[in-house]
Amino acid sequence: MSDLQLKSVIKRYGSVEVIHGIDLEIKSGEFCVFVGPSGCGKSTLLRMISGLEGITGGDVVIDGAVVNHVPAAQRELAMVFQSYALYPHMSVRGNLSFGLENLKMPKAEISRRVEEAARMLRIEAYLNRRPGQLSGGQRQRVAIGRAVVREPKIFLFDEPLSNLDAELRVTMRREIGNLHRRLGNTMIYVTHDQVEAMTMADKIAVLRDGRLEQFGTPLELFNNPDNRFVAGFIGSPAMNFLKGEIAEGGVALAAGGHIPLGPRSGVGQGDAIELGIRPRNISIAKTGGVKGEVTEVEQLGSESYIFVTLPSGEPLVIHQAGQTDIAIGQTVAVKLAPEAVHIFRADTGRVCR
Amino acid sequence: MSGAWAFLTRKAGGPRANWLDYLTYAYLLLGVIVILVPVLWLGLNSLKSSAQLERQDLSLLPARYEQVARATVTGLEGKRIFYISDLPYWVLDWSDLPDAQKARHDLSAFLAGYEGDALYALRAHLGLLPEMTRDLVARENLPDWILRYVSMSAQARSEYDVAAIIAGLGPEDQRLLSEFLSLDPYEPSAISVQILARAPDPVTGIETLFGVSRINPTRDTTPARYVDNRSAEVVQLATATIRTERSFAPSWENYTDPLLGRAFGVNVNFATCFTNSVLVTAIATALTLLINSMAAFALAKYKFRGQVLFFVIILATLMVPPTITLVGLFKAINATGLSGSIWGVIIPGAATPTGVFLLRQYMLSIPDELIEAARMDAASEWKVYWRIILPLALPAIAALAILSVIWRWNDLILPMVAIATTKEAYTIQLCLLEFRGEHLSQEHFRLAMTMVSLVPATLVFVFLQKYITTGIANTGLK
Repeated sequence: MSDLQLKSVIKRYGSVEVIHGIDLEIKSGEFCVFVGPSGCGKSTLLRMISGLEGITGGDVVIDGAVVNHVPAAQRELAMVFQSYALYPHMSVRGNLSFGLENLKMPKAEISRRVEEAARMLRIEAYLNRRPGQLSGGQRQRVAIGRAVVREPKIFLFDEPLSNLDAELRVTMRREIGNLHRRLGNTMIYVTHDQVEAMTMADKIAVLRDGRLEQFGTPLELFNNPDNRFVAGFIGSPAMNFLKGEIAEGGVALAAGGHIPLGPRSGVGQGDAIELGIRPRNISIAKTGGVKGEVTEVEQLGSESYIFVTLPSGEPLVIHQAGQTDIAIGQTVAVKLAPEAVHIFRADTGRVCR
Repeated sequence: MSGAWAFLTRKAGGPRANWLDYLTYAYLLLGVIVILVPVLWLGLNSLKSSAQLERQDLSLLPARYEQVARATVTGLEGKRIFYISDLPYWVLDWSDLPDAQKARHDLSAFLAGYEGDALYALRAHLGLLPEMTRDLVARENLPDWILRYVSMSAQARSEYDVAAIIAGLGPEDQRLLSEFLSLDPYEPSAISVQILARAPDPVTGIETLFGVSRINPTRDTTPARYVDNRSAEVVQLATATIRTERSFAPSWENYTDPLLGRAFGVNVNFATCFTNSVLVTAIATALTLLINSMAAFALAKYKFRGQVLFFVIILATLMVPPTITLVGLFKAINATGLSGSIWGVIIPGAATPTGVFLLRQYMLSIPDELIEAARMDAASEWKVYWRIILPLALPAIAALAILSVIWRWNDLILPMVAIATTKEAYTIQLCLLEFRGEHLSQEHFRLAMTMVSLVPATLVFVFLQKYITTGIANTGLK
């Protein structure tokens, strides 16, 4: 049970700066997810926390102590790797006990912890097998078990589920969630999949190009995104964006139509903006509003997605509960719920609340 | 056994062997023959007796001909050549017998069965002349110088009157002393061992026993003599009609004598050489593996300034022929006081660029994440090397171990440079060299000991090839 602070952490490879000063505070016992597109620096940040990657600037503080120059072996953290990185020449038991042996723990204690972790992760039957003889899901559990037996200060997960098939991924996601609830440890989890982030996290840190875009609970990020990137990244299907500008008493859309809104900070009349709205906050009306042509309809049974192209060429996704009788090619009128509209500056992408 | 049979009759698939299977097996068989025949040839030759080897007998098996003793005795009536049949093997082989075996036979009892020329020939063959002469000198109160007369120079001899002394003896004693001193008319008697051959008599056509000195199949006729002494004439036999009896007779002494330190004329102990070679090979290989794998680990998995430079320098030493560095090596060994000790052979070759290169390339294929996982598991850098890198590089290490064992075992140059001055530190290759002296070449020992020297290298391969294959099987992990 430990907390972690990052203080303007910077990473440079030669002259190329890949992490541009990140400040972050993860409280003890929190499940924090680093999420972002490929190449955003989330894995690098995790490896800097773990000690596998050096820190160019700033401080990594664990439990109040700066650990910048403490080698990975002595930071008392445990990491689950994307490729599992199980030792192929050791049995599962050997894999689990290797870290404990390095800590010179008594044999009885090692065996107790290994048995306990194996029971918890349901890998008792495979303790004497080699990793090569296990399935992907079993290997994943062993990799997690290797971290669990250490009883580390912080668990680090580096995209651990990306090698599993979709079904197993959902199961393992739930298991890791359960594990966190049971152990109560601080965990940091890196993924590029925002669904994983939304379902597992206590706190999400959205990263892009080595910068922290927003840090908060999943619903904070979903409901009150700080900028256009976070708004577009969090939520599935993604938020719709429409170009427009601030007009008298609302927003004038490039696609035609006027959304009545109260005044927003940071923008004035005539400023170019992007209007963001989630698919479930758009409804199809009989008349009025903005008109568009239906290009595609996805019927999922209990819900439907309708893809509409507006006269300005902008695509729009509409969510409808239940099934729909709207057909492709039809012209429909869409109505945006004014209270669910997010306004972002077109130039900086900042939200205007 | 059934497992071996199942292995040897494996097919590519299908119920019956197809032409590809036959072709594969034919190819494998050819390979086995090409590799195995020289070794088998060496093995069979190593069991041949020195006599057979000296005859340059190319027959496959170690065998001996049925033999007969041809005696040459000179007397007052001139030279007589005749055969003595039915002599036991120990008499025929007398000159090759070790002293311990010679002492086991009661010669006087044996000679009591012979008389006349046969006795003269046999007593000379069995080396009894000096002893009998000493007895004679003592019995007849002859002057001492007689015993030294043989080794005197011509000038020294002229001061003594031998003829007078001989003249004063009885006829038997005259013969004995004359034979001992190689004086006319009694030249030393001798027995030479010949091949006992059967062939039709050129006159009568009846099959008869002949004595033949050697059979040269490229000659049409072979000179021979009658074994039953019916005529002293040499007859020419048609080579094609000659039959000889050969018996399979492996000479295990070729192995036992040098191994037990009984080999005549060899002043190194083969067992010591063998122990030295085993020590050198084992220690040097262990050191080589340790040093090379550590260097390879650093070059493959650490990032440091000059990483490439160091690697290039190590590789560059491969380009320098070892003969170039030989003198420098000798001086270094001498200066460090390692000369004459097996450490002088072990240490200079402990790090090999080939080994570093081989292991580094293999270690590059070990995923970095395994090392990082070990570091996260609180492993020290030594633990990472010892528990993760070494076991995973085992296939390459086994390959290098085999190479290193073969290099060290077969190395001749470095031992010659480092320990040629000290017989106690000789390795097996120097030892084998010892069997071929300037004056005495003992090919039978050399062949036998070469066979012995093949054993450890073969065993090492048999044991290590298992690791190579399991290593390949082990890497079935992503």
